[in-house]
Amino acid sequence: MTGVASDPAGEPAGDPAADAIISLDHVRRVYDMGHVEVPALDDVSLRVDPGEFVAIVGPSGSGKTTMMNIIGCLDRPTGGVYRLAGTPVADLDDDGLARLRSRTIGFVFQSYNLLPRTSALDNVATPLLYQGVSRSDRTARATAALERLGLGDRIHHEPTELSGGQQQRVAVARALVTEPALILADEPTGNLDSHSGADVMAVLRELNASGSTIVLITHDPEVASSAARQIHLRDGRVVS
Amino acid sequence: MSLLELLRLAMSRLRTSRMRAALTMLGVIIGVASVVALVSVGQGTTSSITTRLSALGTNLLTISPTNNTTTNKLSLDDATAIAALPSIGGVAPEISTSLTVLAGTTSTSTTVVGTTPAYPTVRAYDVWQGSFLTDASLAGNLRVAVLGATTAANLGLGASDIGTRISVGGLPFQVIGILQPKGGSGFQNPDDMVIVPIGVVQKYFVSGDTVRTIGVSVSDPAEMSNATTAITALLRDRHDLASTATADFNVFDQTQLLAAASSITETLTLLLGGIASISLIVGGIGIMNIMLVSVRERTREIGIRKAVGARGRDILAQFLVEALTLSLLGGLIGIVVGLVVSALIGQLAGWGFTFSPATVAVAVAFSLAVGVVFGVWPARQAARLDPITALRYE
Repeated sequence: MTGVASDPAGEPAGDPAADAIISLDHVRRVYDMGHVEVPALDDVSLRVDPGEFVAIVGPSGSGKTTMMNIIGCLDRPTGGVYRLAGTPVADLDDDGLARLRSRTIGFVFQSYNLLPRTSALDNVATPLLYQGVSRSDRTARATAALERLGLGDRIHHEPTELSGGQQQRVAVARALVTEPALILADEPTGNLDSHSGADVMAVLRELNASGSTIVLITHDPEVASSAARQIHLRDGRVVS
Repeated sequence: MSLLELLRLAMSRLRTSRMRAALTMLGVIIGVASVVALVSVGQGTTSSITTRLSALGTNLLTISPTNNTTTNKLSLDDATAIAALPSIGGVAPEISTSLTVLAGTTSTSTTVVGTTPAYPTVRAYDVWQGSFLTDASLAGNLRVAVLGATTAANLGLGASDIGTRISVGGLPFQVIGILQPKGGSGFQNPDDMVIVPIGVVQKYFVSGDTVRTIGVSVSDPAEMSNATTAITALLRDRHDLASTATADFNVFDQTQLLAAASSITETLTLLLGGIASISLIVGGIGIMNIMLVSVRERTREIGIRKAVGARGRDILAQFLVEALTLSLLGGLIGIVVGLVVSALIGQLAGWGFTFSPATVAVAVAFSLAVGVVFGVWPARQAARLDPITALRYE
């Protein structure tokens, strides 16, 4: 294994450097299950700097998904402070979160989550649509993103006409088309055979090499080994 | 997102589920089409009834005996006295009877009307060929006849037959004129009659000097009710009626009938439109139903869109525009169908086709309203979905 976390995952509290992309400071997320409160994340602190390639690793039930939702601004912490690109998310309403998400994060999901019956081009262009980019710019940028991922000849194909690996590469193109500060990948190889999975990981490493910050969430230590730094989660806590 | 982008999204969505879109629109199409068609039928009926009634004579007062002929005291002298009242344009007393008319070997049974030269003015007839009765023919009780258009056709007489002799009730008459046709008013053909001087009828066909009706045309429509009052007072006086006695005659105002008839048909139009708009509401519920199903089916799509940056209002707008597109497209198709149907009905019923922009505007507004009312709720459901739950929805 390379890149085993040598530095402590938790940064010193009260020092959220303004230039960090992700800064979690004693973050808690508690699910209220009627009478019982289930803590999914318990006092997690970490920071990710621009240009890093970080893997968050842990078995199922370790709080990975909650972590992903919080980092991805799909959910808010119940305690502690989370800053994304310097913005504390607790201050934002749903629309503010949506705007922050749209500007800062590109998502890659395990199950690709492409829009059905929609061409690769329109799928990749969708985030730009919500940023108010003009149609011609959308087409140009989405085409460029697809070409960068080697899908230049597939831009008019619908998801059902593409292989799993190709679909995931469309999803990666969609994640990077907005030139986000952070690409957040949730088990990006989970639905792929080993060959396609290795292919997608190579794409992510390449993106990182050309400057993208990548946070990868996975249960698979082998996939995690692609990352320069690994953060291990267990029972809602950072263990290493 | 601009409206154009939203429309583009909606259209591409409708294209991917054409059958469903068509069936959903069908409800609105039927609703709008029936509103347009029924309102147009109602308007056609109204205008047809109004035209026919005004063809009977405008500014017309008809005086007739109340009950039966035994108490009838209306006389030619009454008519002469009425003519002396102010703002009276013409007075045409009438006696009619049914007789057989012969021209050569062709015979027909028709109404013979005895009247005065004022008759065309009062009853709104025009002479097509020849001339009408004159004061001279009236004074001399000449056996001359003016034919209604239908009667002339039945007898095989045309423009060249002015001056020819016919037999009316066994007596020879000279044809001096033929009237312009008025067109059938349904219950009684106004073009099927023979007009002769009133004295001739009294002399040869109907005994007594009472008249069946007196038609009065009032020179100014604003004077209708004044004229009615004046005539009533005059006739009560002439018939020696005590002030408490009920009148033995009726003064009937044509415009009142007209007003009553149009108010009835207008109510009918409203009623028809109301019934039709129920189907429009049902169509709207169809849209709401399909949009709710669609929100459920596309939960994951909504989650994806939210994850890549859509705000609640973007999703709301997307679903609302989809519902509006369905209802507006349905509305436009419905208008076309409704106009075609009303043109066909107008053709069959013979009142022609009247295009009413107001109805079309109302139908468009109504279908838009249906889209908004029945589209907002599903769209709000979609907009409120939590992205995490939506993304995980299978």
